[in-house]
Amino acid sequence: MNKEIIKFTDASIGYGKTIVASGINLSIAENDFVGIVGPNGAGKTTLLKSLLGNIKLISGNLFKDQIRFGYVPQRDTVQPLLPYTVSDVVMMGRYSLSGPFQKMSNYDKRIVEESLAYIGMSELKDKNYNSLSGGQRQRTLIARALAVEPTVLILDEPTNGMDTPSHYSLLDLITRLHNEKKLTIFLVSHLLTDVANIVKKIILIDKKYFQFGNIEEILSETNLRNTYSSDFHVSLIDGEYVITPKHLKKN
Amino acid sequence: METLHQLVGLFPYAILGSILAGVICSFLGIFIVSQRVVFLGAVLTQVAIAGVAFSFLHIIHIETFIANILGVPVQGNDFLHNFEPIFYSLLFAILTVIVFSQTHHQKYLTQDGILGIIFVVTIAVRIMFIQKSPIADIAEVESILKGDILFISQKEFIILALILIFTLSVFTIFRKQLQFVTFDAESASAHGINSKVWLLIFYIIVGTGISLTTRFVGDVFAFAYLIIPSSIGILLSKKVKNVFLIAVLVGAIVPPISIYFAFKFDFSSGPTAVVTAFILFLIVFLIKKWRG
Repeated sequence: MNKEIIKFTDASIGYGKTIVASGINLSIAENDFVGIVGPNGAGKTTLLKSLLGNIKLISGNLFKDQIRFGYVPQRDTVQPLLPYTVSDVVMMGRYSLSGPFQKMSNYDKRIVEESLAYIGMSELKDKNYNSLSGGQRQRTLIARALAVEPTVLILDEPTNGMDTPSHYSLLDLITRLHNEKKLTIFLVSHLLTDVANIVKKIILIDKKYFQFGNIEEILSETNLRNTYSSDFHVSLIDGEYVITPKHLKKN
Repeated sequence: METLHQLVGLFPYAILGSILAGVICSFLGIFIVSQRVVFLGAVLTQVAIAGVAFSFLHIIHIETFIANILGVPVQGNDFLHNFEPIFYSLLFAILTVIVFSQTHHQKYLTQDGILGIIFVVTIAVRIMFIQKSPIADIAEVESILKGDILFISQKEFIILALILIFTLSVFTIFRKQLQFVTFDAESASAHGINSKVWLLIFYIIVGTGISLTTRFVGDVFAFAYLIIPSSIGILLSKKVKNVFLIAVLVGAIVPPISIYFAFKFDFSSGPTAVVTAFILFLIVFLIKKWRG
């Protein structure tokens, strides 16, 4: 059993006095790979913000061991007008570790180079971030999160709006980060089949419904109906989950 | 050549001051334009003027209060005499940016909507302040409020130099934090940088720079030089450093040249500086478009 690094106990999350989700109990260990799924407005982002410490819990407790977060936002939220290069963007990951009067060191530069090399973007380091494809931008943001030298990586809808090859290539990269770098990963996604096939544990979240556990325990048609208020068909074909809405199945 | 000699002889601080004001505005403008809050620049110039108009009402005598603390007489003290307009212009601008910085995730209104409301209310209260001002001639008050590059004095030149040093120092010392939060505030927060605080600091510096510069060079000049040089920099450059370099160069070079044209052809200096910068922008834009 790996060491426990994050624990929510009877937590209610939300903004001010407005509770978005309650009854949250979960325990995350080192090298866990956790998918977070739920309908729009269910509280996925609120849960992430609570985890990151950007908003306080309304009630309950949150334990965090000495962990460092790397965060990958949805790439559409980052659309700079200034011509930042890929290298500039990744270097920003080091800014949070550096004081106001400190210059970026050779070590910082090396970490940036290594992060870019790991995600296969070294050759594009001097390219303008705005000129990249969606997949390349997402990889750049992942490299920025890696440059923080994180213990926990959080990815918010990383494959949104990508073409199929970029989509699967990115999922491969995320799996590789988990297996090779032994990172604890939180993956937020709308794509149930994707999440089900790469994560080990899953969080199903809605306003009045919260389930957390191993994928094989939690991923049931009943739990999905309770989360999404609609029917899904869950099948396991050649060891891979296929999740489809029931009305599509009928058609 | 004779015109140039006359100009330098008569208005040396106007020329130097226009360079400093151009540099301050174009530097701050890069952040304003890249943050997509151009309207904030327009609002701040009007808020600064409303602050000066408020000072003419002499409702609260800040200068007397400070003179009492310092134990010096107000009469004949130039610093105290000029303090009140600057104080209120700054106060109004800072209050505006504090309100604005809290509106990022406003549910019911857009940031533009909020800025629009502040903009029209500011113009309205400015008119009301002027109507109740003890100074009789409204046109005279308006001209005092709006500032004029040609009348930049040695003292105002020194204040502009101090604003420039302050702005550049803060942005140099806290470059990393300010760059990250203005690029991607959400991720900066996630990585441990307090985006709310840093954005507030950013807007306060911007508000301070714009309000004080507007007081000396007028709202038209200040707003135009917030937008045009930075837009030229963004159009011309493929590197962030060069955007700053080009914008600041345009901000430094175009104002004194336009003062020369204004003097030679008997135009107002502020509008001439704006039109000259616009012509440069148009040329750059057309060349860029032509080259594809």
